[in-house]
Amino acid sequence: MIIAEQKPLDEILEMISGVERLLVLGCRGCVAVCSAGGDKEVGALASALRLGRKKAGKPIEIDEETYVRQCDPEYLEPLEEDGKRYDAVLSMACGVGVNFIADRCPGINVLPALNTTFYGANLSSGEWAEMCAGCGACVLHLTGGLCPVARCAKSLSNGPCGGSVGGRCEINKDVPCIWHQICEKLTSRKQHQLLREIVPIRDWRPSGHGGPRRRIREDLLP
Amino acid sequence: MSRLKNNSCQVGKIVVFCCNYTTSVSTDTLREAGLIPENLDVKKLPCTGRIEVSALLDAFEQGAEAVFVAGCRSDECHNLSGSRRAEKRVGYTKRLLEELDIDPDRVEMFFVHRGETQPIVDAVREMTTRIAKLGQLHSI
Repeated sequence: MIIAEQKPLDEILEMISGVERLLVLGCRGCVAVCSAGGDKEVGALASALRLGRKKAGKPIEIDEETYVRQCDPEYLEPLEEDGKRYDAVLSMACGVGVNFIADRCPGINVLPALNTTFYGANLSSGEWAEMCAGCGACVLHLTGGLCPVARCAKSLSNGPCGGSVGGRCEINKDVPCIWHQICEKLTSRKQHQLLREIVPIRDWRPSGHGGPRRRIREDLLP
Repeated sequence: MSRLKNNSCQVGKIVVFCCNYTTSVSTDTLREAGLIPENLDVKKLPCTGRIEVSALLDAFEQGAEAVFVAGCRSDECHNLSGSRRAEKRVGYTKRLLEELDIDPDRVEMFFVHRGETQPIVDAVREMTTRIAKLGQLHSI
């Protein structure tokens, strides 16, 4: 899922400094699952902003709402009209939701409440880790299912850099060297011949370096 | 058990979120006995693990000068980890208050032995002292 985290309150308060009527708009997709922008977070942020503005002597009127998703047009439909009642809509979706509102509802001043950080997995309650870089050219069949693009600090394609110690990355001892893990896994599965395959220089165009990406499935088009 | 001084009632409102199991004695009884002040708003929960950050912030928004949570001692929680969860949410709320330039001492977690009244009274006294030192949060 997409992982995000709330921006610092002072940054958000600065963003809404001239706003008198605000809609805090959550999303029940990824950001609700990673506890960044679901119903609970909408309530907490709205309360904090009201408190901050009251303390500053500039009370603000805030409504709270959470959509099923902010990245699908059918769920955004009501916002096109409803959003006009506010000076700004503070989206607690990932950057996709903010962009989609900006595209679909041009009359609305949409602002981001979150920093969108990575594609990750939930390790335990309250802990998420990056597992995929969305590079557009998956090599996980060659690496035992472990991603060297997302999980190697240098995104190396052909083995470890040589800086790791005891299976830990040189950037931080809390970070496992993913190439160490790939080698161990492929060896234990007797697939170590895969390590001999030289992966050519990566074509980064599918990862977004070739411009904004788009996927079309003809059979589903209206 | 000493009675709270009368002037403590003139300090701003304090909201306490209390575990149903920690306060077996009714707050009305404590209030009538002069052990807790009039300005104390007691909100009982089935378990303090139910408390949400938004509820703590909302209490401040509604005019509280201090807010605290009184949950079971961590080894006595009826729901095993409810009061520990509450402690973490209080900690998160402290961070948000700091971000808003509000003293984080205005919110606190207290672990209370089940059925004992004195720790609640002590907690009220502690928070009353804190807000007296910190001054008014709400000028209106």
